[in-house]
Amino acid sequence: MHMPEDRPILKVRNLRTRFKTDRGIVTAVDGVSFDLYPGETLGIVGESGCGKSVTNKSIIRLLPERVTQYDPDSNISYHGQNLLELSERQMRSIRGNDIGMIFQEPMTALNPVFTVGWQIEEALKYHSKLSSSRRRDKAIEMLRLVEMPNPVKRMDEYPHQLSGGMRQRVVIAMALCCSPEILIADEPTTALDVTIQSQILRLMDDLKKKTGTAIILITHDLGVVAQACDRVIVMYAGQVVETGGVRDIFHRPRHPYTRALLDSMPKPGAAGHQKRLPAIEGMVPSLFDLPVGCRFADRCQRRQPACEAALPELVDPETKSVTRLATGRTTPSVRCFYPLELRQTKERQV
Amino acid sequence: MSMTDRFFKTREFRKLFRNKSAVIAMLVIAAYLFTALFVMCGGITRETCDTVVGQNKMPGFFIQQTPEQRYENATSKFLPMVQRALSRADQTAALADVRLGQERVVNKSAAQLQAIIDRAIELKNELNQSEDLDADSARLPQLKALEDQVAMLKAPLTGWSRLMQNASLVLGTDAQGRSIFLRGLYSIKIAIQIGLVTAAFCVLLGALLGAAAGYFGGWVDHGIVWVYTTFSSIPNLVLLVVLSYAFTDSEVKDTLLPVYIAFGATFWIGTCRVIRGETLKLKRMEYIQAAQTAGFSPFYILVRHVIPNTAHLMLINFSLLLIGAIKSEVILSFLGFGVKGQPSWGIMIRDAGNNGDVVSGFFWEIGTATALMFALVLAFNILSDALQDAFDPKHV
Repeated sequence: MHMPEDRPILKVRNLRTRFKTDRGIVTAVDGVSFDLYPGETLGIVGESGCGKSVTNKSIIRLLPERVTQYDPDSNISYHGQNLLELSERQMRSIRGNDIGMIFQEPMTALNPVFTVGWQIEEALKYHSKLSSSRRRDKAIEMLRLVEMPNPVKRMDEYPHQLSGGMRQRVVIAMALCCSPEILIADEPTTALDVTIQSQILRLMDDLKKKTGTAIILITHDLGVVAQACDRVIVMYAGQVVETGGVRDIFHRPRHPYTRALLDSMPKPGAAGHQKRLPAIEGMVPSLFDLPVGCRFADRCQRRQPACEAALPELVDPETKSVTRLATGRTTPSVRCFYPLELRQTKERQV
Repeated sequence: MSMTDRFFKTREFRKLFRNKSAVIAMLVIAAYLFTALFVMCGGITRETCDTVVGQNKMPGFFIQQTPEQRYENATSKFLPMVQRALSRADQTAALADVRLGQERVVNKSAAQLQAIIDRAIELKNELNQSEDLDADSARLPQLKALEDQVAMLKAPLTGWSRLMQNASLVLGTDAQGRSIFLRGLYSIKIAIQIGLVTAAFCVLLGALLGAAAGYFGGWVDHGIVWVYTTFSSIPNLVLLVVLSYAFTDSEVKDTLLPVYIAFGATFWIGTCRVIRGETLKLKRMEYIQAAQTAGFSPFYILVRHVIPNTAHLMLINFSLLLIGAIKSEVILSFLGFGVKGQPSWGIMIRDAGNNGDVVSGFFWEIGTATALMFALVLAFNILSDALQDAFDPKHV
């Protein structure tokens, strides 16, 4: 496996993103901190509306400026500069060049009126000074890199002539053609069927090893996390509730929410596969009306009176010392007063 | 080459070409465009339209006028003018040339006729006053050339000139003895010209403003919406009349510029609204977000990604605006505010009404103008309907 360096390429600290809405100010991301190391895949998991997409759109500053506020403490440090303080013009040279992004829906992520080749070349035309024939060569090379069958012919085809999987390959080629250091993948496989899904994940893994790009993989599919990620952040209602290596999360979940998520996943070969899968009772709390205590308390089966009294900090589950930042590469953290004990979480098969 | 080829082989275009009425409509429009081009290349000039070809008033292709008939037709209108010319000169000397002028009347405009009469009188006067034989003999070839012209005019019409003469009589003449057919054809050029210029300008302006309003939002959106709401609250025709009056004394009053300005100021609003709505939808599409994450500037995204995706709306709006502009031009000209100094369907309809001809059963002037306009507008309506059917993705 590619040996990652030890200096994080992206440091997110205390990210608080607020939206001004008609009903008042809402904090969509509440104090998220993490590090991203070169060559690793960091998974961000959570239900819809938990803030995972807003976190990543904050990093690339793609949220509508008029309604978005970042907390003054928030800092997203990339090569020594705080991305939240850059001008729109400086940000544009970072987008695409240094940080690429791929989207969920390959059906709509390509512009229907231009050829595939034109769209891959476009970013090169904008960000580099390559001649037109060199650009075309580079675009064909990118299509070859994403294992597109018959790349030269595909260059002149329109998106509607490609299948979903092929389109997602084109989207990845577009995101990678300027060799970004960070690739943000917002649910890249959700719209694909499972065989194509695993092909795309394998492709992203191969590309990561070839180019050393760090990937932030946003998903709500734990199967994808298990297959593709090195490290996982679990988010709930705008906050990080648990973080750790992918094996820790899957085999030794410490937060009741993570545990409940894992339980609600079908287990291949399990004897009880005819039984109904357990679902998490209740609803995610409204961001306009957050509880004082633990945000998961309402739905938690291990709820104690203390849970509703105060918001727990992110702590190291072993030492109970406050980590606050979900930054360590290996140190797991959990936001719970009563994390599951190791013996309570029997080894799981995934 | 391969790109346009592919463009025309798309499912949408095959569907369009399968629609028989759409194909017929396109052929009709092509004929109109060809006529407009013919007029624009000088096939029919303003002067041709003002030329008196006879006052028989009746339509008919096979009426072959003899020179005498042409003379009769011409004299009734131009005898006073010829007599005025005679009164200014030595009568005996000018007589031959006046006869020449009378012959000429049938194919020449009043101004040209006057020029020939003047030239002939001048030449005769010079000959009378001159005492130098050499100078006289030098003028003889000119006199000969003038006489040759007379001979040529007296000869029966053949070939192209006969065709043109018959063509100009095919739909009869109006109260002033001018060819209805030629005036009708010339009006095609006026209509197409006004339609194309207005539609092209308004679609481009509307698309750009609408896309900018929808894409940027905020104060850009507020500003543009405010402007078009204000404009659309002014009654359209009143604005056009005001603009028409504003240009009454300027040197452009006989050109189409006032009409262009009046239409250009109001017709972009509908397109702007539609494109703004479409842009609000497109803005949420992932490929626009993908373009933003690729670091493109907002203006680049607007021009290269948003506007090309509204092309189908621009196409449909273009054909709708074209019809709208043609119809408005006719109405305005009928009211006396639109086209001035050249024929237009609106002017033809007004002339027919003013002289009381319609009441007395003389319907071909109003009939020609109406039929030509009807065919064009109908063809465009069918085509834009077919375009909508073919390019609307929800329509299978």
